[in-house]
Amino acid sequence: MLSIKNLHARIGEKEILKGINLEIKAGEVHAIMGPNGSGKSTLASVLAGRTDYEVTEGSVDFLGKDLLDLAPEERAAEGVFLAFQYPVEIPGVSTTNFLKSAVNEIRKYRGEEPMDAVQFLKMFKEKMAYVNIDQALLSRALNEGFSGGEKKRNEIFQMAVLDPKLAILDETDSGLDIDALRIVAEGVNKLKSPNNATILVTHYQRLLDYIVPDFVHVLYKGRIVKSGGKELALELEERGYDWIKTEVDQ
Amino acid sequence: MLKQEQKDSLIAAAHQLSASSSEFMNLQNFLDKGFPTSKSEEWKYTSLKSLNELAWNWIAPANACSIASPVNWQPLLTIKTCNGHSSIQSKLATNEVEFLIFDDFVAKCPSFLSLWNAKDPILTENALYDLNTALVSQNNVLWIKKGVKLNQMALHQFCLNGLADSTAVQSKLIIYLEEGAEFSLMEQQSSSLNEKEHLSNYVQEIWVSKSAKLAYIKEQDFQNTVSHLDHTFIYQFDGSQVDTFTFSINGGLIRNNLHFYSNGSQVISNLNGLYVPADHQLMDTHSVVDHRMPHSESNELYKGVLLGSSTGVFNGKIFVRPDAQKTNAFQSCKNVLASTKATMNTKPQLEIWADDVKCSHGTTTGQLSEEALFYMRSRGISEQAARTLLLLAFVQEVIDRVEHEEIRLVLSQKIVSKIQKSLNITF
Repeated sequence: MLSIKNLHARIGEKEILKGINLEIKAGEVHAIMGPNGSGKSTLASVLAGRTDYEVTEGSVDFLGKDLLDLAPEERAAEGVFLAFQYPVEIPGVSTTNFLKSAVNEIRKYRGEEPMDAVQFLKMFKEKMAYVNIDQALLSRALNEGFSGGEKKRNEIFQMAVLDPKLAILDETDSGLDIDALRIVAEGVNKLKSPNNATILVTHYQRLLDYIVPDFVHVLYKGRIVKSGGKELALELEERGYDWIKTEVDQ
Repeated sequence: MLKQEQKDSLIAAAHQLSASSSEFMNLQNFLDKGFPTSKSEEWKYTSLKSLNELAWNWIAPANACSIASPVNWQPLLTIKTCNGHSSIQSKLATNEVEFLIFDDFVAKCPSFLSLWNAKDPILTENALYDLNTALVSQNNVLWIKKGVKLNQMALHQFCLNGLADSTAVQSKLIIYLEEGAEFSLMEQQSSSLNEKEHLSNYVQEIWVSKSAKLAYIKEQDFQNTVSHLDHTFIYQFDGSQVDTFTFSINGGLIRNNLHFYSNGSQVISNLNGLYVPADHQLMDTHSVVDHRMPHSESNELYKGVLLGSSTGVFNGKIFVRPDAQKTNAFQSCKNVLASTKATMNTKPQLEIWADDVKCSHGTTTGQLSEEALFYMRSRGISEQAARTLLLLAFVQEVIDRVEHEEIRLVLSQKIVSKIQKSLNITF
C-alpha cells in the first residue's frame, strides 16, 4: 500500500529525515517509536503534506501514486488521514459543518455525488458510536475549548467519518488519561480492516497495550535503525532508548 | 482645492436649485475648502483629491429606483431615494409614522426646532456636510411618533440610477423618533451599471428621544465607479438604544462617518460593521462616540476581510467627557488580510476626561492561520474552500448580531459570493 524509499526531508537548513525506508501492506499496523527529536512527527507530517518541510530526496508511493506530488487535500481524498498530535482550533466552524465539507469535497474528487443532510445524519450517528462522542461536542466550533481528551476523540471520530485507507496517528496517546486512551484505542481497533493500514507514531509503549502492532520500528536521527515485532516495543519499555542510541552511535 | 470651472458650475447649480441665502453660505464653506485630501488627518488614507479635478454635474435627475422589491417580506413602510429624490409607500397610519418635507414637519412639530438648533456647531466646519446642505434637493423627515413600536422592519431603498457621466448626487434623510418609539430600518444602497465616475454624498441626521429604540442596518453594494460618502449623525437621549450595522460589500470608494452623540444617561449605542473590499476598492470607517452624560455604554464591533488589492481604514474615536462618569465604552476592530496585496490601516483614539469609567479597545490585523488551513486541507478540504470557510466563520459574528433572520440570510449570501468570487481570482 505504502512504499517509502530513501526519504530525506528538511526544515529550513536542518535535515531531519535522512533516508527512511518503509513498506506497509493493507491490513497491517506499524508502530513508529523513538526518542524525542528523532523525526517521528516529521515523518507523519511529510506523509500528510505539511508544506513546512522540504523533501530533498527519495520517493513515497501510495497505491501506485506518487504521494509527494499531491496536495494535502488530494492525499486525503486518496485515503490518507493524519490524526494530529495537536489538533487545531477552528473558531466559528462546527465539527459537523467541517466534516460535511470534507466528505463532500472528497466525494467530488472521487467523482461521487454529494451526500445530502439525511445521509449525513445517518452516517454521523453510526460513527459517533465508535468513539462514544457527544452530539453537543459536534455542534460546537471545532476543537475550540475542547479538553485534550475531547480533541483526540474528535480526531478519531473524523477518522471514522472519512474512513481512510492509511491512518497515521501522531502521538495520539499524548495528554490522554487511561480511560480516554482506552476509548480512543477501541475506536481505532474497530476501524481496522484487512483493507486499511495504520501507522502509530508514539513515544511510549502504553498505547501499544491497546492497539497491538504487527511491526515496530525505531526511528533515531532521521533513520529507521531497528525493526521488529511487538516484542521490540516491550523491550524498549524495559530498557529505554539508550542502548539503541549507543548501538547506532558506535 | 476645486478648480475655478468647478466653483462656477457649483454656483450655477445652486442658483438653478433656488438655494436660500443660508444654503449659499454652506456652499461658500465648501467652495473654500473643496473635497478633503490626505493633507487632512481625517482623510489621510482616503484622499478625495481626484474629485476636485473632475467636471461634475451637480444636479441629478429624479429617476425611478432600480432596486427590486424584496422577495421574502413585504414591508409596511418603504422609502425610495433615487438620485437624492425620495418618496414613500406606507401602510401605516399618519398618527404612527409620517414622512414630511422639513418645513411641513416643523410646522406640525415645532418643539423639534430646539433639537435642530442644538446641533453640533462643529458641523458647520464639515465641507461635505455643507455641500450636501447647499445642494440637496429634498430635506425629508421620517417621523416616528411617541410610543409607536413597529415590530416589522421598514425598508429604505437608496440608489443611483440612470445618471449622466460624472454626476454628484446629494441625498439626505432625517429621522425623528419621539419618546418611547421603536423602529428598525433596513437600508439597501446600490447603483445601476454606469461607466463613468459618480459621487454619492449622503447625510443622515437622527434624533432618538428618551427611551426610544432604533436599529439601522445598511447594506452597501455599489459599482466600482461610485464613490459613496456616508455621514450618519445620531443624537441619543436618556434610556435610548441605537444599534447600527454597516455592511460594506461593494463600491469603488466607501467612506462611512458615524457620529454618535450620547446626550443622556442609560444610553446604549451599539455600532457594528463588516467590510469586504476586493479589487482596488477602498472602504473606510470613521466612527465617533461622544459620551457626554453619566451611566451610558457603547460597544463597537467592526470586522474586515480584505481581498484583492483593496484598502481598508478604521478610525474609531471615543470621547468620554468630564460629566460622563460610569461610562462603559468598548471598541473592537478585527481584520483579516486575505491577500498579500491588501492593506489595512487602523487607528483607535480614546479621549477620556472622566475618572470613573471602563473603556477598552483592541484592533488586530492578521492573516488566516496556516496551521488551520493545513488541518482543514489534511481532511480533504481544498485550499480555496478552507480559506472561504475560515473567512465566513470570521465574518459570521457580525452577521449574527442582526436580529432579523431573512436579512441575515440575504447578507450572508452576498458576502459568501463576494468572498468566493474574489478568492477564485486571487488564488
